Amino acid sequence: MLWYKAWRESQGTFLMSAAAVSLLCLAFALLHKEASGGISNEPLTYAVYIWKIVYRGYLREVFVILVLLLGMGGLMRERDNGTAGFTVTLPVSRRRLVLVRAATGLLEVLGLAWLPAVLIPSLSAAAGESYPYAQACQFALLWAAGGSFIFMIGFLSSCIFAGPYTPPIAGFLALMAYSLLSDLPVAERYSLDVHDLMSGTGRPWFELSTARLISPVPWIPAAVFVLIASAFIGLACGITRKQDF
Amino acid sequence: MLWYRAWVESRTRFLLIAVCLTLFCAAVVLFHGQTELVLTDALRGLRSRTFSEHIYELVYSGTAKGMFAILVIFLGLGGLGRERTHGTAIFTLALPSTRLQIVITQMAVGLLELAVLSLLPALLIPPLSPLVHQYYPFTQALHFSVLWFCCGSMIFATSFFLSVVLAGEYTAPVACFLVMMLDAGSSALPTTRAWHLNLMWTMGDFATMHWDPGPNLLLSAPLPWARLAVIALLTLCLLAAAVRSTRKQDF
Repeated sequence: MLWYKAWRESQGTFLMSAAAVSLLCLAFALLHKEASGGISNEPLTYAVYIWKIVYRGYLREVFVILVLLLGMGGLMRERDNGTAGFTVTLPVSRRRLVLVRAATGLLEVLGLAWLPAVLIPSLSAAAGESYPYAQACQFALLWAAGGSFIFMIGFLSSCIFAGPYTPPIAGFLALMAYSLLSDLPVAERYSLDVHDLMSGTGRPWFELSTARLISPVPWIPAAVFVLIASAFIGLACGITRKQDF
Repeated sequence: MLWYRAWVESRTRFLLIAVCLTLFCAAVVLFHGQTELVLTDALRGLRSRTFSEHIYELVYSGTAKGMFAILVIFLGLGGLGRERTHGTAIFTLALPSTRLQIVITQMAVGLLELAVLSLLPALLIPPLSPLVHQYYPFTQALHFSVLWFCCGSMIFATSFFLSVVLAGEYTAPVACFLVMMLDAGSSALPTTRAWHLNLMWTMGDFATMHWDPGPNLLLSAPLPWARLAVIALLTLCLLAAAVRSTRKQDF
């Protein structure tokens, strides 16, 4: 029942996000000749174009913002709606409520991350081009790892701040602060930039000239971000347990 | 009373955005030397030769502009639809004022907050610059404030309109963000590029900046009044459509 509740609460945002990602993939693949001229003055190969517009550029930025909004599922939001009292009287622990809501959201992030991997290669074929499934799947794994970290920033923010719009603003600002700090040389040395992980920019496993991932999925950096996201779940549980509704 | 109510409803969002913009602008000015050194290593190509370039690249055409544009979406979320979800819409409608008054007050408060946010960099950057022995002209800062307000009001109106017509807590911000991305994407196409439809480019005076060797400053071209008038007209149309939808809604 908790899973169904969590799904019902987030399905609107998820379905809209999925529709948006799908439509953008469709547009980017089918209008590649027109769009390619828009993002670069020099002629681009199809793989470079896809990387620039999907995996590094527009679609990745859309994905980041959508995932942040998907994370708005903490109990503080329910307090503002006046339903927190009912939810916390359900015969389950607050920890379980938070875990189920986070797990549902993370599954939705996984779904969103895999959408381009399913759509881009097939739509490319329809547009008379080709994009390898293997590359798309590797990027999907990186997006899932990076997305889970960004989702948890949003989720934590919605566990700490009340009101409908304060959590997304706080989450976005936290993400901005993180993004600026992760560009510092100290953070760069430890590959702590989630945006670079998702796009491959400047990473040894990515070849910029062909815009391809040249070695197997970088499991260690991806696992580090998943671990941080897991720690954030624990933190969200701890914060929610201490809150007064 | 309606004005106070609209202010109380939006003040957390406004203050949060204002604090962050203030901190960012202050940091960009006060730590410009250190930031440049870091950016040279971290983001190749962002190295600024002069202070005015540094301000333009980080504030008026960079991070602060993007932050402002995205956060204005949340400032614009209003209307009575949100109150319907919370069950307070009937109390609001029972107040001795028309729906028109309620919605217009929300819009006016939001636009005033937007004006303050647009002016913040202009109120901060020129006075803070002498503290680090630099100079940034107030007229230049004011020029960008006008651009930020005009383009910001368009984003505000889009967000407000979408929050009136779309149900769901986060449907309107998601839709508004997608509209912005669509605008950015479609205006980059070779066939539409000449029309200057990109709101973000207009906000940052993209491709119209020029170098003035006299005062050693990166300066903007005169304000694109015709484009700003079109933007203002579209903003008014969106706000009028939001009012019309609210009057017809059933709570």
